[in-house]
Amino acid sequence: MHSHYWSRSRMIMLAVLLVIGAGAMLLVTHNQRFYRRPIARVEQVHAGAVQKTTDQFKNVDHEHQQRLTVRLLNTAHRGERLTVNNTYSDSQPMDQRYHRGDQIFLSQLRQHHGRLNANVSGYKRDGVVVFLVWLVSLLLIMMMGQAGVLALVSVVVNALLFIIAIEVDLKNNGEHVMLIFGSLAVIFTLVSLLLILGPTKKMLATFGATVIGTFTALGLSLLVFSMTHQRGIYYESMQYVTQVPRPLFVAETLLGSLGAVMDESSDIIATLFELKQLNPAVARRQLFLAGRNVGKTIMGPLINVLFLIFMAETFTSSLLYIKNGNSWGYTFAMNMSLGTVQSLVSGIGIVLAVPLVSLFGALLLGRRVR
Amino acid sequence: MSTITALGLVLLVLMVAVGGKQGWTAFLSLLLNFGFLYFAIILVAFHVPPLFVTITTGIIILAVTIFMGEDDLRTTVTAFYAALIVTGVLIALIFLVEHWAMVQGFGTEDSDDLEGMSILIGISYFKVLITVTTLSTLGAIAEAAMAIAAGLTEILEAHPDVSNRQLMTSGMAIGRQIIGTTFNTLFFGFFGGFLALFIWFAGLHYSLGTIMNNKIFVAEMIEILISFVGVLLTVPTTAWIMTRRRSKIK
Repeated sequence: MHSHYWSRSRMIMLAVLLVIGAGAMLLVTHNQRFYRRPIARVEQVHAGAVQKTTDQFKNVDHEHQQRLTVRLLNTAHRGERLTVNNTYSDSQPMDQRYHRGDQIFLSQLRQHHGRLNANVSGYKRDGVVVFLVWLVSLLLIMMMGQAGVLALVSVVVNALLFIIAIEVDLKNNGEHVMLIFGSLAVIFTLVSLLLILGPTKKMLATFGATVIGTFTALGLSLLVFSMTHQRGIYYESMQYVTQVPRPLFVAETLLGSLGAVMDESSDIIATLFELKQLNPAVARRQLFLAGRNVGKTIMGPLINVLFLIFMAETFTSSLLYIKNGNSWGYTFAMNMSLGTVQSLVSGIGIVLAVPLVSLFGALLLGRRVR
Repeated sequence: MSTITALGLVLLVLMVAVGGKQGWTAFLSLLLNFGFLYFAIILVAFHVPPLFVTITTGIIILAVTIFMGEDDLRTTVTAFYAALIVTGVLIALIFLVEHWAMVQGFGTEDSDDLEGMSILIGISYFKVLITVTTLSTLGAIAEAAMAIAAGLTEILEAHPDVSNRQLMTSGMAIGRQIIGTTFNTLFFGFFGGFLALFIWFAGLHYSLGTIMNNKIFVAEMIEILISFVGVLLTVPTTAWIMTRRRSKIK
C-alpha cells in the first residue's frame, strides 16, 4: 500500500515542472519587446554626491546621487547606450538604489542633438511574481497532487471572477456596489465549494451555511454601525478610493471574511457528515453540539489569521505617522481603525457562523427526537 | 460609544456565548496580538532593528495564537515548533524575494495619502517590509500547524502504534483536506482588502505590464504567495515534528 513517494510518474512530473519553470523565467527576463515602455539594463553605476537631510521631526536621512550607464533592451533604439541620473535615500520609500544588472523602466526617452536622454521611472518586477507563482504551483502539485491542482484552479477561477466583477462595477460607475459584490460573494462561494467538494449534498449544506453565516454577520455589523453612528470609523483614511468609500469598505469586509467563513463551515459540515455516517440515527441536538465543539476550537485561530493579514497591512503607514510627530491615538485612528473594524466584523462572521452552521447541518442531517 | 468598542463588545459576547471559556481565551489572544503588533510599530519607530522586532514579535504572536487556541499540549507544542521552523525558513525566503522585488515603502498610487508627510524617516523601509510580510503570514502558519497537529494527535490517540511513516502519510492527507479552504481564506483575506486598488487599476486602464511591475500590486502578490508557501511547508513540517515528539508526551 505504501508505494515509494518518488514513483516514476512523479519524477516525470517534477521534470516537466522544472522545465516549465526554467522556460517561464527565461521568457520573463527576455520579454522586453512586449512592453511599450522603454526598458534598459544598468551596465555601470557611478556614485555621486551624498546630502544629509533633516526634517522638522528630526528624522535624519541621506540622499545619494547615482549616474547610471544603461543599455536599451527594446524600442527602436534597442542596443544603444545612454546615461541617466537617479536619486535615492537611505530609507528608500519611493526612490530606490540601482545596481549593475538591474532592469529599469525609462520615461521621456528622447533624442537630443544625437544623444539619447531619459528619466528613470521604475524597476522591472514581473520576474518575482512569475517565480513565486511557479514555486507555489510546484509545491502544491508535488505535495498535494490532485487536491493541490484543484486548490490552484479554484484560486485562478476566483481571480477571474474578481476581475469580471470589477469590470461590472466600473460599467455601473460605482453604483450598486453592494449588489454586485454581494452576488459575487455568493458566486465565489458556490464555485470554490464546487471545486473543493464536488457537486455533493455536503457541498450544498456548506454553501447554504456559508452564505447564511456571512450575510447575517454583515447585517448585524451594519446594525451596530448605524446604532453607533459610525463614530470612530474614518472612511477618509481608506486607501486608493476612486468611488464612494463606505459601500466599497463594506464590500471589502464582506469579501475578506468570506474565505474564512467558508473554511470554518466546511470543517463543521464535514464533521457532521462523518458523525451521521457513523451513526445514522444521530439526534439533531447531538449534531448541533458536535458542530459547536468543532467550531469553537477553530474560530480563534481563524480570526487571528484575518486579523494579522488586515493589521500587518497598516504597519508601514502607521510607522510613518508616528515618525511624523503624530500621537499614538491619532496614528491608530487614521491607519488602523478601518483594519480593526474589518477584523472585528470578520470575527463576528466567523463566530456567528459556528451556531448557524451547526444548526443548519443538524436540521439537515439529524433525526427529530420525539 | 465608538463603533470599534461596540463591535468589540458584540464580538466578545458572541465568542463567550459560543465558545465559553475557550471563546474568552480566543478573544484575549486577539487583544494580545493587537497589543504586540502595535508595540512592534512603536519599537521600530524608536529605531530598534526591524529584524530583531520581527523575530521577537513573531515568536510571541505564534505562541499567543497557538497556546491560547488549544489546551492539548501534544497538539500545541508540536504546532509551535513546526510554526517556528516554517517561519524561520520563510523569513529567509522573504528576504531573498523582497531583495529581488524591491517593493518597500510606497507606490505612486500612495502619493495622495502622503501629501504633507515627511517620508525620509531614516528607517529602512526594506527592513520594515520584511517585518510586514512576515507578520501577515503568521496567522496562516499557526492555523495550519494547529489543524495538522490536532488531526495527528487524534490519530495517535486512536492508534498509538501507528508507524512514523504512516503518521507522515496521514499528515499529508489532512493537509490535502485543508489546503483548498485555507487557500480560499488567504485569497479572500488578501484580495478582499485590495478591492479599491483593483478598481483603481481597472478604472485607469492599467495595462497588464504596468500592473505586473506595479510596486503595490507586486508587494501584495508576494504577501499572498509567501503565505501559500508557508502553509504548504507547514504540512510536512508539522507531521515530521509529530513523529519526533510522539514519545515525549503521552
